[in-house]
Amino acid sequence: MIEDDLRAAFARHEPLTPPTGPLRAAIDRLATGRRRRRRRWQAGGAALAVAGVLGIGVPLLAPERSAPPPTADLLGGSSRPVATGALNILLLGLDGDGREASRADSVVLVHIPSDRSRPYLVSLPRDLGVPIPGHGTDKLNAAFPFGAGFDRPDMSKGYELTRRTVAELTGVRVDAGVVLTYPGLRRLTDAVDGVPVCLPQQVRSVHTRRVFPAGCHRLDGAASLDLLRQRRGLPEGSLDRDHNARLFAAGLVRQAAKQGVLTNPVRLSTLLGTVGPDLLVSPDRAAVLDLMRLVPTLRSVEPSGLSLPVTEPTGPPFHLRPDPKLAPEFLTALREDRLGDWAARHPERVDR
Amino acid sequence: MTYEEFADTRLAPLLRYAVMLTGDPHQAQDLVQETMVRVQLNWRRVARADSPERYVRRMLTNQYVDWRRGSWMRRVLLRGEADEAVAAPADHAQSAVDRDQIWSWLSRLPRRQRATLVLRYYEDLPDAEIADILGCAVGTVRSSISRALATLRAEYVEA
Repeated sequence: MIEDDLRAAFARHEPLTPPTGPLRAAIDRLATGRRRRRRRWQAGGAALAVAGVLGIGVPLLAPERSAPPPTADLLGGSSRPVATGALNILLLGLDGDGREASRADSVVLVHIPSDRSRPYLVSLPRDLGVPIPGHGTDKLNAAFPFGAGFDRPDMSKGYELTRRTVAELTGVRVDAGVVLTYPGLRRLTDAVDGVPVCLPQQVRSVHTRRVFPAGCHRLDGAASLDLLRQRRGLPEGSLDRDHNARLFAAGLVRQAAKQGVLTNPVRLSTLLGTVGPDLLVSPDRAAVLDLMRLVPTLRSVEPSGLSLPVTEPTGPPFHLRPDPKLAPEFLTALREDRLGDWAARHPERVDR
Repeated sequence: MTYEEFADTRLAPLLRYAVMLTGDPHQAQDLVQETMVRVQLNWRRVARADSPERYVRRMLTNQYVDWRRGSWMRRVLLRGEADEAVAAPADHAQSAVDRDQIWSWLSRLPRRQRATLVLRYYEDLPDAEIADILGCAVGTVRSSISRALATLRAEYVEA
């Protein structure tokens, strides 16, 4: 029968199958190369888009138009005045890749005072018990999944509910926001060629068993992600992790400044393009570019790290509470743009 | 399941499957290589499938059926990288004519028909699963098989 002949023919030709070892190596090599190339293309694409926005691409694309390209408008932000008052930017670090319901385990408010002396990084502990609009009182990190939803989470809604929660807690207006996922953090770090961080104490990863000794390191994307996930085994748990996250953010700013990213909108846009959809900005990318135009007006880009003062929980539901003595004073200083004074009076609460 | 675990157990069967599809170890390597590079780059999506193995088999089959539509440049580049993997190719088209007529007749079938035959008589898959892999109706699988068998039978008569 022809069916049997077919089966026999197939079986007879099985020995034609080459060995898999070299093939597997070739697959890995090609995938690595293509991953690298893909990253370059994305970055290049973003740079092209920026060139287009800036009007550079317009004469090329529409040569028949006699009128000069509308560069004044396309140069965008530059005709708008640079903001003058104090500014607050909310940074959220998600516990995951954003495709499944993730909590915002790093909540940092970047405060830029109106005297433009330096940026302040203010951590809000994720275990802080706070009123979440529409969801009673819960831990701060729960606001993100409550907003985003658990089935097909919408990151912009998660950001929005966290922003409202933070605004009500602190009483400050949030001018812009950035949400970073695990892959976003990794790519961002790699895109600036790693971030320098000096750790005050050793961190041992419970995920990879990697040990980060106390002292200074230059961390690549994977190592940064690993470090920033660690809280177990640290004496103060997630508060120590927040501290590490502020050190990392300060290192990232330092590294970005060194590479000229902060003062060069094209480089910045390239960077944002590299990170792609794993970095969400609010209200939009133009707002972030606008903010970056502030950077040259800052007297120092060296950030100062602070944390909302909290007290340990004494019973269920074991939420951290704002410190009854220190927190109101701290939040008033934040609202009234006097964080510099506050930091000067509480030097023990400033990151070194 | 990680990509590594998947490759550990599934690479060899996929390569055998590709040999049956293409009839040629070199082309089989190219086919598996191109598919697995994409699998690796998109592993998260692949791993989310109900059966990653079937998902990858579908990718590989589509790649084979659409091969001619692929860009030339890409294929030339692939060729350049693939060669060290295998020793000198046997001129098996020639030997097949002498030794194994049915194998050479297979190569004259349209690719979708050949894929259907391989899935049915080499992989021993039920029609429903074949339909799923080829992205067509079960009835189409059956008619495709009977048409392919009819072509082969005609060759038998002529030979």
